[in-house]
Amino acid sequence: MNPSGRWFESDPLWFKTAVFYEIHLRGFFDGTGDGHGDFRGLTEKLDYLRWLGIDCIWLLPMYDSPGRDGGYDIGDFYAVHDDYGTIDDVRTFIDAAHERGMRVIADLVMNHTSIDHAWFQEARSGGRGSSNPKRKWYVWSDDPTRYAGARIIFIDSETSNWTWDDQAGAYYWHRFFHHQPDLNYDNPEVQQAMLDVLRFWLDLGLDGFRLDAVPYLFEREGTNCENLEESHAFLKRVRATIDAEYPDRVLLAEANQWPTDVVEYFGDGDECHMAFHFPVMPRMFMAVRREEAAPILEILAQTPHIPANCQWGLFLRNHDELTLEMVTDEERDYMYAEYAKDPRMKLNLGIRRRLAPLLDNGRDEIELMTAILFSLPGSPLLYYGDEIAMGDNVYLGDRDGVRTPMQWTGDRNGGFSRADFAQLYAPPLMDPVYGYQAVNVEAQLRTPTSLLRWLQRFITLRKEHPVFGLGTFEALVPDNPKIFASIRTYEDDVVLCVHNLARSAQAVELDLSRYAGRRPVEMFGRSRFPKVGELPYLLTLAPRGFFWFRLDEDQGR
Amino acid sequence: MSLPDDISGSLADWMIEQRWFASKAREVASVNVLHEVALSEDPQLSLALVEARFHAGTHELYQLLPGERDGARALAELLGAEASIDGVAFHGGLTPSGEIHSMGAEQSNSSIVFGEQQVLKVFRRVEPGDNPELEMLRFLSERGFANVASLTGWYEYSGELMDATLGVLQEFIPESRDGWQLALDDPLGLLARIGELGEATGRMHSALASDSTNPAFAPEPSPESLSLLTATIDEQIEGVFLDLPQDDRVAPIAGRGEEVRDRLQLLSHVAVGGRLIRNHGDFHLGQTMLTDERWIILDFEGEPARPLRERRRKRSALRDVAGMLRSLAYAASASELLRGVPAPENWEQRARSEYLDAYLGAVEPFLLPAGQMATEKLLAIFELEKAVYELRYELNNRPDWVPIPVAGLVRLLDEEVTPA
Repeated sequence: MNPSGRWFESDPLWFKTAVFYEIHLRGFFDGTGDGHGDFRGLTEKLDYLRWLGIDCIWLLPMYDSPGRDGGYDIGDFYAVHDDYGTIDDVRTFIDAAHERGMRVIADLVMNHTSIDHAWFQEARSGGRGSSNPKRKWYVWSDDPTRYAGARIIFIDSETSNWTWDDQAGAYYWHRFFHHQPDLNYDNPEVQQAMLDVLRFWLDLGLDGFRLDAVPYLFEREGTNCENLEESHAFLKRVRATIDAEYPDRVLLAEANQWPTDVVEYFGDGDECHMAFHFPVMPRMFMAVRREEAAPILEILAQTPHIPANCQWGLFLRNHDELTLEMVTDEERDYMYAEYAKDPRMKLNLGIRRRLAPLLDNGRDEIELMTAILFSLPGSPLLYYGDEIAMGDNVYLGDRDGVRTPMQWTGDRNGGFSRADFAQLYAPPLMDPVYGYQAVNVEAQLRTPTSLLRWLQRFITLRKEHPVFGLGTFEALVPDNPKIFASIRTYEDDVVLCVHNLARSAQAVELDLSRYAGRRPVEMFGRSRFPKVGELPYLLTLAPRGFFWFRLDEDQGR
Repeated sequence: MSLPDDISGSLADWMIEQRWFASKAREVASVNVLHEVALSEDPQLSLALVEARFHAGTHELYQLLPGERDGARALAELLGAEASIDGVAFHGGLTPSGEIHSMGAEQSNSSIVFGEQQVLKVFRRVEPGDNPELEMLRFLSERGFANVASLTGWYEYSGELMDATLGVLQEFIPESRDGWQLALDDPLGLLARIGELGEATGRMHSALASDSTNPAFAPEPSPESLSLLTATIDEQIEGVFLDLPQDDRVAPIAGRGEEVRDRLQLLSHVAVGGRLIRNHGDFHLGQTMLTDERWIILDFEGEPARPLRERRRKRSALRDVAGMLRSLAYAASASELLRGVPAPENWEQRARSEYLDAYLGAVEPFLLPAGQMATEKLLAIFELEKAVYELRYELNNRPDWVPIPVAGLVRLLDEEVTPA
């Protein structure tokens, strides 16, 4: 039996050329008419995602949860949240996605559970010094000053990583919200229990996991309790288990750290298959605002090489705030000043806005940023709604402002749900610029020049060239600092990508002498440009414009 | 060109020359045997899964059956024995008897006839998943649909590379005439029986829509299907016109890409309705045979140039109908082109309306959009899609035939459209 399942060619590196699409299930499509998105609704929209060219759907947590942290507070690893459907609905959805050639990965929070989880309820019971075996599944202390080297992540809402529990008569450890106690990975039973959770979902057909908050699994005194050796050892164990039992699956690590630390999560190609490249994203926004390539070039220069069977996950925006943890203080101030003019837009160390509003809804800017993203070495992840330039609602709390209902049509509730407006989990956007009357899938499908149609073409183009996922990457550094250009090479495919970050038209001379004799062919319109010679190759670019070329061996035709 | 494969010289050179090799327009970087199974020693026969790699780093997989001249007999025995060798499993019964001979190769497969009783179709391009031909023949055979040659067996591969259907075995229909040849040889004879074909098509669609418990066949509503379809066709139009050569044959439509796209937009302003169902997928006269008693519908693989998962998609039944209407237009033009005799006067018009009337009388009405106007518009959209597909195909494969889809497009452009 083929390890990849009935509808795929076996390919352990499939994720390297895949385009991912991140879905907030609650906000995607309501198939049952209760005001919440669900698996039935998502299944109905699979043809849309296939049309768009998506290879892998990434689901935010769909597990049973009291919902104090958007589902990242899991109440039962073996059940789906009632609002989303049943395990059978999940199976139907995964089968339907596979049949259409799309894979599915889901978020899994390994670091902690909800306080509502049965494990924690058992753990806290029995009073001080309880001998209940579950007590040792979490991290307890009589002293709330232990592990003082660990920073507080949610600085806007938490004051300590320890919270007193009356029932247990002790403090419990939590790196995130106080209602999310950390599991104790020093306990072998916990490790075993989590491996069983992974197996359950892989047996159901899931193609992998985005592992949430992996740097924090273990705690050690005298450290910052992040990226510890022990955490890596456990992840290697997870990987070995999956490779042995479930080939062609993927582990995507969420480690919001500097690339030199993140790269540790790849191990020697024996830990996670993918990890997010967090710091590149704020620097792309900086680059477009400062109109210079330097911020991107600098972070790429600081990015170490990764094993050949691994891949970076790249994104412009996701369901969280645009995180500014991995920038300098000065850079952060700059980002706040440029992108969060209203203080409501800030959250923790980040900016809670969607792609289009961040770029002032500039079509050229959105296309330029997408082109840069697609040209970088890694697999792009798109966030639902950004393909039609949806907006956000800063008046909704926490990160809910970037999780409003997907805008399908100009009809009632934006075509998201047949429920009464008052029943919806959140109001759809209705403002004149970003509201569903102006911005929706149906209208953009019908308009050949729309962002959606452009993106579909662009994804198709990228997928015709495995070079973007598999090829080498070499940044060109021309004299004009406003130009971000690179050469990608894979097998016989050589691709030149040139992007103009400036608001004004620019000329650039590129040293392409190594490719003398080749013919640049523009990839969208297939126009043939003059041959490359020994002299610098001159290109002129429109404001925020870009060109992607194939450099073809010229046959003299 | 017959089975088993007689590979002489370099494998790459041999493969690229085969009619079934799909990517003739692309430059092949290398050809590699990924997996080989010895199926039989005497007569010698093996199965090879061969990869063609292209310069951009993409690839396609093909099935080859290299062996001795009478290796086909081994295939018959393997099918008869329901053998299973090294990941290749044979299903269904076949008692080898009588003469074994190869049929002419088709675009994407090769066929062997066993004793004038059964025919084995060997798929060349191998893609993961269930081949639609197997699914459709099984589904229709199980329901006793009389206008197909029943499924009697198949063989498949399940291994490290993928799971895939490799070939299907079905009843051989002797004493029959190919629908396309009939249209050229005896256009009036075809005209007399075209209504029967329309009726058979309608019943085929009704049968395909008859099982709502089987997820692969259950009819579906899809509110977005028309928008997605229109967007997809629109891209195809743009793609074809972008590459349009400067050639007299395409002169009538040269520079009219925008006009074709506008026409599509106009047609797509139609109320959504009807259902999406599994359908034939590549329906034309060449996929039909006429016996004294009935029409036989063949080749449920779908359009060979499209990926398997796209060929399995549910679509409006009218897509098949449009395919047949385009085929009638082809036949009318081919008569002149191939035989030097024009088709009988109004032949295409008459064949069209007889076929359509019979079809509409036989198909379950709930499968179609509500109202005649909506049906006509959707039909025109599919004819447009088909003509664009034909244009690309002919430009790549049969430049002499280019004027046929060109004329089809011109006609669609000149037709009056009732605004919605």
